[in-house]
Amino acid sequence: MTASPIDKIINELASDVRPVRPLRAPALRALLAIAAIGLAAAFAIVVLGDVSGLRNRYAGREALLALETLAMLSTGVLAIVAAFVVSIPGRSKRWIAAPIPFFALWLLLSGLGCYDDLVRRGGVGWELGESIHCLRFIAATSAVFGPLLIWRLARAKPINPLPVALLGGLGIAATSVFVLQFFHPFAVTFIDLAVHLVAIMIVVGVVGLVNRGALAPA
Amino acid sequence: MAEDVVQDALLTVHRVRHTYQPGRPVAPWIAAIVTRRSIDAARKRGRIGRQEVFNEVADETFADPRANKLLEADASRTLAQMAGGLSRGQREAIELVKLKEMSLAEASEFSGQSIASLKVNIHRAMKKLRFSLPKEPPE
Repeated sequence: MTASPIDKIINELASDVRPVRPLRAPALRALLAIAAIGLAAAFAIVVLGDVSGLRNRYAGREALLALETLAMLSTGVLAIVAAFVVSIPGRSKRWIAAPIPFFALWLLLSGLGCYDDLVRRGGVGWELGESIHCLRFIAATSAVFGPLLIWRLARAKPINPLPVALLGGLGIAATSVFVLQFFHPFAVTFIDLAVHLVAIMIVVGVVGLVNRGALAPA
Repeated sequence: MAEDVVQDALLTVHRVRHTYQPGRPVAPWIAAIVTRRSIDAARKRGRIGRQEVFNEVADETFADPRANKLLEADASRTLAQMAGGLSRGQREAIELVKLKEMSLAEASEFSGQSIASLKVNIHRAMKKLRFSLPKEPPE
């Protein structure tokens, strides 16, 4: 075979190239990350959580509680999965919208719960006092799980990092609120709900701001 | 600009090659990368365009286009002077080996000089050229 100089150069350069190890399917990577977060959260809940408080708080309203909790969990899980999917070039952008219906459902149910509570107990619980703990809890939980998730997301070197960062932030924040449910000694009031929302916005905003630095886009 | 995007997209394809999943169609993957890089390039151009002014004729000092060739003429005169200092054999050796990039064997066959004398001629010519390079005028 008479190799041209270019063929020769290519062969020489390619002779000690290691094969590329493709990333695994985004859904699988997302599930692994969620499993890691879930294990840590489950451990924290079992050791430190207040499950009986949760039961008392929703006594007689179990269906509402179950739906609401499920909605926030779905928001978190779907946002995390969507973040992993859109970090890969060429995947459908519709994934960005995936968590939105569950987010809306969660707000609706949470609002219903608050209203119900307000009617039953009157104007109690309009003070900010306790809610500041929720804010701190959500921020702290996100600060623990956020770097883990960002580290996993950065493996893909997303070419468009902003949606990935925002979805990741929403996923972490929603998961944190879900975990918060097991540490929440009192029923959610409107103030609480607003504080939770503010906390979510803070987390999403922070992750959104650091997106380029943290996700190391290509 | 289009060439820049192509270069950028090729580099990006290389950097994110681990995100391509074997077995999936490759076109959407590449299309997404090219689209993203095009958007980046358009944004960059917009950003730069807002702050900087491009003036294509800014390099021209004089209205008469020939007047702008002064530097060029100067350079070619200097080169001619430098080459004039070389002997015939030296000039031939430089021309064949350095400018036409022949191998020593080819140049020897072409010119009739032996390989050893080609080497000597090139060495002496390079030395002479280096010393005959006009001193840069102080800024």
